[in-house]
Amino acid sequence: MLRVEDLVVEFPAGKGRRVHAVSGVSFDVARGETLGIVGESGCGKSTTARALMQLPAPLSGSIRLDGVEMTSLRGEKLRETRRRLQMIFQDPISSLNPRRKVRDIVAEGPRVWGEGADRVDEMLEAVGLDPVTAAGRRPHEFSGGQCQRICIARALVLRPEVVICDEPVSALDVSVQAQILGLLEDLKERYRLTLVFIAHDLAVVKNISDRVLVMYLGKICELAPGETLVNRPAHPYTRALLASIPGGRLALPPADQLIKGEPPSPVWPPSGCRFRTRCPKARARCAEEEPVVRPVADGQWVACHFPEIDGV
Amino acid sequence: MPRRLGWTFWLSAGWIGLLLLAAIFADLLPLPRYDETLAGAPQSGPSPAHPFGTDGLGRDMLSRVVYGARVSLGVGIGAVLLGLVIGAPFGLIAGYRRRAADAVIMAVNDIALAFPALVFALAVVAFAGAGLSNVLIVLGVLGVPAWTRLIRGATMAFAEREFVVAARALGARDSRILLREIVPNVALPASSYAFIGMAVAVVAEGGLAFLGLSVQAPTPTWGGLINEGRGIMETAPHIVLAPSFVMFLTVLSFNLVGDRLRALTDVRQSGLEPARPSAATPLPTGEHEVAGTLLQVADVRTHFETPRGTVRAVDGVSFTLERGRTLAVVGESGSGKSMLIRTILGLLPGAGAVSGGQVYLEGREIGDLAPAEKREILGTRFATVFQDPMTALNPVRTIGTQVMEPLRVHLGMDRKRARQEAVRLLASVGIPEPAQVLRRYPHQLSGGMRQRVTIAMALSCDPDVLFADEPTTALDVTIQDQVLRLIHRAREERDLAMILVSHDLAVVSQWADEVIVMYAGKVVERGPAAALFERTRMPYTEALLQAIPRLDDPSHHRLRVIEGRPPDPARLPPGCRFQPRCPYAGERCETEEPPLVRAETPDHLYACWFPVGTGAGIVEGTESRGR
Repeated sequence: MLRVEDLVVEFPAGKGRRVHAVSGVSFDVARGETLGIVGESGCGKSTTARALMQLPAPLSGSIRLDGVEMTSLRGEKLRETRRRLQMIFQDPISSLNPRRKVRDIVAEGPRVWGEGADRVDEMLEAVGLDPVTAAGRRPHEFSGGQCQRICIARALVLRPEVVICDEPVSALDVSVQAQILGLLEDLKERYRLTLVFIAHDLAVVKNISDRVLVMYLGKICELAPGETLVNRPAHPYTRALLASIPGGRLALPPADQLIKGEPPSPVWPPSGCRFRTRCPKARARCAEEEPVVRPVADGQWVACHFPEIDGV
Repeated sequence: MPRRLGWTFWLSAGWIGLLLLAAIFADLLPLPRYDETLAGAPQSGPSPAHPFGTDGLGRDMLSRVVYGARVSLGVGIGAVLLGLVIGAPFGLIAGYRRRAADAVIMAVNDIALAFPALVFALAVVAFAGAGLSNVLIVLGVLGVPAWTRLIRGATMAFAEREFVVAARALGARDSRILLREIVPNVALPASSYAFIGMAVAVVAEGGLAFLGLSVQAPTPTWGGLINEGRGIMETAPHIVLAPSFVMFLTVLSFNLVGDRLRALTDVRQSGLEPARPSAATPLPTGEHEVAGTLLQVADVRTHFETPRGTVRAVDGVSFTLERGRTLAVVGESGSGKSMLIRTILGLLPGAGAVSGGQVYLEGREIGDLAPAEKREILGTRFATVFQDPMTALNPVRTIGTQVMEPLRVHLGMDRKRARQEAVRLLASVGIPEPAQVLRRYPHQLSGGMRQRVTIAMALSCDPDVLFADEPTTALDVTIQDQVLRLIHRAREERDLAMILVSHDLAVVSQWADEVIVMYAGKVVERGPAAALFERTRMPYTEALLQAIPRLDDPSHHRLRVIEGRPPDPARLPPGCRFQPRCPYAGERCETEEPPLVRAETPDHLYACWFPVGTGAGIVEGTESRGR
């Protein structure tokens, strides 16, 4: 349904330098699927999400929604295609205009398209808010979790097909996080949504996703079904990520044996494999030749010269 | 609203309103005409007939000041509106479009700003002729660059916000986004600036009028009046004083109104901000034995007096801690876990906080010590690591001066020794090339490195207790692992006691020896980590554990949802504070607050009438709402 090929996003970093935020990322999302994207800060996961919406458009690469190339669309055509995708952000407070009432926030989409606001109450109910008491109030009167519900209502009111969730639960308390994850699963079923779910917490991503994409410094490391990724991680970075999770209870060596140091700057990414500067298995070939993403098992794709094929 | 703005705002706004009304309806007021000579004796002082006295020609000063307000306020308000009408669109476009539009508009703007404004105004008025419209236009146009700059800045701050991106995703056109999403948010800072701009314009007009470059006589203006009275100031000072005083009040009022409006822009009040300064009497402490352990905290409380009532942020927390142990305090936001640490460290915000309870270090109560001794203990025997290393480090001082400071102040080292020690400390927390890092500034380091620096600083005076408040929450998971390992190793090597505050149960289960679970200011469960996680008694702890996604759960596993929200800290529910959200709650929970009672495992305590895993709820099942 959504096909991304060779996506590249760069930002100017002053003095003629460029931040290589996303460098050649390709993936597919099937209709009705939840694709999780996981990685640490600066890995390009949020930039990828925004590039999918053309906000801003990527430097190069192709994004096709049901075969329609989005990167070449302009003006009205782009507006019409883009409404089929919607986004939910990390900071629910910052995502809502503090000067507008909840009803106006949720009704904005239909108003833009000259449609009636009759779905507003239904949407507010669907996300677990009482339209009678909530609609007339302003965002600051709500807690973080409730604000995130308002954001979800706003995103779904135009009946989008794909919803891109950029760290939607990272700013929330554990108990509220569970509520929002449950709500997303319910709404996905009810409105037949396709989700792209981005987070830094692998356990959260695995919980909600069918397949998980691991990114590091603007590149794909590994793409696999959640269970495979957790039980048979093939990329050294995936293994390090899993081992770093406290209380993970997985049969992996301690994280300090799997990863060292700090991520390099995306302004000067390392040659060859971008993870090689922190990888305990890195050899000369890793610096010379960039590993391509290739299948290693059923549904499992890895970009590494020396993957851990036998699992843990 | 009145409470938020304060009485100075309303007094100032009232004065401006009064002056405006008087100026507009001057013709209807029972005043002599401003140009009526010999309305009273010339140069007579204030009297009932002429409250402000009369001028050299016997004209009524009050009338002249009121009519003068037409010009002064007219120019003040008119010039600001003119500047706004021209400057705001440029500012909006520059701030929203960025790139080329921004570059061109701001380049022109910067050149315009470089003109010496008042000299320019003088030149234009002298050339084009003095008069109301010329003064208004000149002052208005001179305000444009400042307006453009202000509106651009405010627009940029909002154009990057997620709600603007969301509006674009919904398909809103740029014009609609500007009008609906950005303008309402820019309006408040703009109106604040407008009032301050009016004050500036009133003063500028006064200056021009004083020089005779504004509206010509006989039309009075404040600056002109002051000029007229200048010559006879010694015999009739009221002629200068009356317009000066009115002008002073007006400028002050405009500034105060603008100032209060600006204060509104970033304050988001919940009614829970402390209202009064703290009462002198501390809260009572329950009876307890002094155990003589390294750290003992007995019945610590912190309450805040707020407009909505007393907030019991920390409500009777007790524990003891030995060397070489890590005590974790877990809870969700608002549970009081960070406030507990601040109370123990004596770092409470000044206003409105009342605390009680005792903190003992090796059996000595800290609260009784003299301030100097207390500072010494806080500086050397207690050490802290906070969530955001950027707030713990001073951004304008090098890492070196900051790491060396406690060494020199508390340990009395000279510069050279402090430097050697600082290098050794940074190396010990795993910072590569420590000598170079000493010369850097905090912003030049990554988040993980900055946190290592604050850990090095915390360890520098060889503390006994390390307080770590969410030390890794801002860090990535691989860096979090590194930092937690580092803290743990430091604890072992130096035989420290550690208090780890965290919202993350996974972190706690891996690193803590003992755990305190807090809910709404109370300890609801406390005990050795293994017992607490494996034989959980308190339903809140259980719910929290089941709400966390785990890697070994299958995908799409439904997590436990805790219904409802944490209670309003100013309106706690009766009985058990978790009771409204608890599936096991019975009648007793609504009336009686459960005390901390001992479980079968030693040192494991919980506060619940129907603890999970004991069958208590099933035995009294008639009362229980479900299980």
